[in-house]
Amino acid sequence: MNINFKHEWIETNIGLMAVLTMLAISVGGLVEIAPLFFIDKTIEKVEGVRPYTPLEQRGRDIYIREGCYTCHSQMIRPFRDEKLRYGHYSLAAESQYDHPFQWGSKRTGPDLARVGGKYSNEWHVQHLVAPRSMVPESVMPNYPWLMSTPLDISDAAARMKALRKVGVPYSLSQAEYDANVTKFGETVAKQLHIPDAQKNLVEQANFGNYDGDRSGISEMDALVAYLQVLGTMVDFSKYADDAFVADR
Amino acid sequence: MEWLMWFSKPENTKPLALIIFFVTFVGILIYVYGSKKRGKQLESYRDIPFLDDQPGDKDDTKDKQ
Amino acid sequence: MAVTTYSGAEQYNFDIVKKFAVMSLVWAVVGMFAGVYIASELAWPFLNFDSPYFSFGRFRPVHTSAVIFGFGGSALFATSYYVVQRTCQTRLISDGMASFTFWGWQTVIVTAALSYVMGYSQGREYAEMEWPIDILIEVVWVTYLILFVGTIMRRKQPHIYVANWFYLSFILATALLHTFNNLAMPVDLFSMKSYSLFSGTQDAMTQWWYGHNAVGFFLTAAFLGMMYYFVPKQAGRPIYSYRLSIVHFWALSFMYMWVGAHHLHWTALPDWTSSLAAAFSILLLMPSWGGMINGIMTLSGAWDKLRTDPVMRFMIVALSFYGMSTFEGPMMSLKEVNALSHYTDWTVGHVHSGALGWVAMISFGSLYHMMPKLWDTKIYSRKLVEWHFWLATIGIVLYIVAMWISGITQGLMWRAFDEFGNLQYSFVESVAAMMPFYAMRAIGGMFFLTGAAMMAFNMFMTIRQGKRESAALEAKLAAKMAHA
Repeated sequence: MNINFKHEWIETNIGLMAVLTMLAISVGGLVEIAPLFFIDKTIEKVEGVRPYTPLEQRGRDIYIREGCYTCHSQMIRPFRDEKLRYGHYSLAAESQYDHPFQWGSKRTGPDLARVGGKYSNEWHVQHLVAPRSMVPESVMPNYPWLMSTPLDISDAAARMKALRKVGVPYSLSQAEYDANVTKFGETVAKQLHIPDAQKNLVEQANFGNYDGDRSGISEMDALVAYLQVLGTMVDFSKYADDAFVADR
Repeated sequence: MEWLMWFSKPENTKPLALIIFFVTFVGILIYVYGSKKRGKQLESYRDIPFLDDQPGDKDDTKDKQ
Repeated sequence: MAVTTYSGAEQYNFDIVKKFAVMSLVWAVVGMFAGVYIASELAWPFLNFDSPYFSFGRFRPVHTSAVIFGFGGSALFATSYYVVQRTCQTRLISDGMASFTFWGWQTVIVTAALSYVMGYSQGREYAEMEWPIDILIEVVWVTYLILFVGTIMRRKQPHIYVANWFYLSFILATALLHTFNNLAMPVDLFSMKSYSLFSGTQDAMTQWWYGHNAVGFFLTAAFLGMMYYFVPKQAGRPIYSYRLSIVHFWALSFMYMWVGAHHLHWTALPDWTSSLAAAFSILLLMPSWGGMINGIMTLSGAWDKLRTDPVMRFMIVALSFYGMSTFEGPMMSLKEVNALSHYTDWTVGHVHSGALGWVAMISFGSLYHMMPKLWDTKIYSRKLVEWHFWLATIGIVLYIVAMWISGITQGLMWRAFDEFGNLQYSFVESVAAMMPFYAMRAIGGMFFLTGAAMMAFNMFMTIRQGKRESAALEAKLAAKMAHA
């Protein structure tokens, strides 16, 4: 050890102190975050997970806008009670196209990671407009404006382009489209094609008629479409119960 | 270059990192508490917050009332 | 030097400190009101009024941003500018830059709050601000860093006092966290909407690395800086051990950054990450308590001050709550405990024992110490300070106890099985069971808010009194001059 070393150098040299502090505070993040991008076990290999359709993605935007994550989680833990209450525990793969993630941190309301398909569209619409008409003890706010506000679809394609830039495999060119056909199948690939975003969105909303009102596309259409797809992409009957826990 | 590969294995780097940080920590401890003289020097810095007090301000915790 | 008045307007830039101190009190009242309001919404949902602008989901970030960045942030700007000038015995290097950080920061808080109620949110806890606001924060923050470091470089005192180390690590860490957690792609240049660069697991890890270190550096390290200056000053005696503060500083700075992933136990995050985080969380107990002991022991030999000085009482209670929550935190980071506590109100209670008990109380104490000095007067009413202290303390206790009971009840109800191995309770039964505790929590919050409002009034009167006194003094001087 250099005997001339003095802590005073640090204490009296603000530049050196800043560098050392920066060093001390950077290590933890580097060690814990960086490997997640390189260890291929971080995300499990499962079939079925796909990016959201234009309508579902708009629904997800509304979910974030209304701050649903402040009361609802989307991350089921591998416990017996959670399995009974919510279903199979969540996989990293299931949120791999979620920018941002919405795992949440609080369950003032129940977990929503697998809410898709559990209730009818009519139930969701009624529950969102007036939660206490369906569940008297609920403390959820009413969301009547979702029903009365027409969905802004003008920037559906722009939103998908932004998501494409951060790595979601939405397609712009024919080559990208073909790659999606191979990866996800033709039906899904069509939904992921950005040039057809508006057309696809309108078609899905009209066909699904999520809000039960055919006169137009409301924000309710988009949000319910999103809720109904949550947790439904992976067919867990194909995998053994503990197929993934080994990865953790 | 073969020896560099040693660092690419987490089972090697984890204990190495532990040792490095532990030694640094012990180093800080020894530095801070190791010498009486240095200790005195360090403790003299305790008074810095009081150096720019104005005369008549010494007992500033009491109300002027 | 002896001829200047105490406020030393020539020697130091106290104008900027005054501005931030006043805004810190304004945001305390606004932010805590928002908190009481959303707490009441959970107890009495009609308060959402079927309006998008008041609904819980949009209003909750208004509360968190206003108290953390508005109240806490302004208090930190104010005290850091005060402490760095007085311990370096030099003036801030630029009044213009200081002024820019003030207006920039206030713009951040106002636009953030407005943008949330209008529906713009990144959907990341405590980092809900959309990208244009994030860029403004970045600019303000870099200015802050330059101003702070520049001022230290111009110091008249060879040694950099330890409080400044803590402020420095807070500024650096916040810059690092803010930058990486807010990397996002805007939909287009004229759209407020953006999508985060990372997704899923990586995004979760980045967010909680940010989320917990916002607690670690913004709400802990920085306020420790505050503690290391104002506790000795108020006690009128130097810090207990300077050597302990050095060890405390390096250990805390190093260890905090590892612990964020304990928010992600049992999730799809790889196990090793959250286990490592838990291990560091336990280790962190030592530097945390080192800091607490250093603060509390500063009073050794002058314990009577606790009885006679209500401002000192704020600081010591703050340190006690700091000790308590830094014990509770590591405990909750244990995987088995976390399995029960996570997703419940227990976490909310824990956050508030730190935020109300530690952050707010140490800020109140420091502001009570600093503001009369800035306006060169004495506190308008000590009685009101006493009242504030008791209201705040009772408020915190009500709040934490309510959240402990409701959190543990929730956790136990969710995992309860009947004799046939079925779930014993539906989810909504657990919601119904929370009602009395949500009401109790809202009432605790109201106590705390009332105390803060009293303080705002008290300080308003103090400032008025200070201004009158200096005006009277000037008039006297002028009269003397005229006679001479």
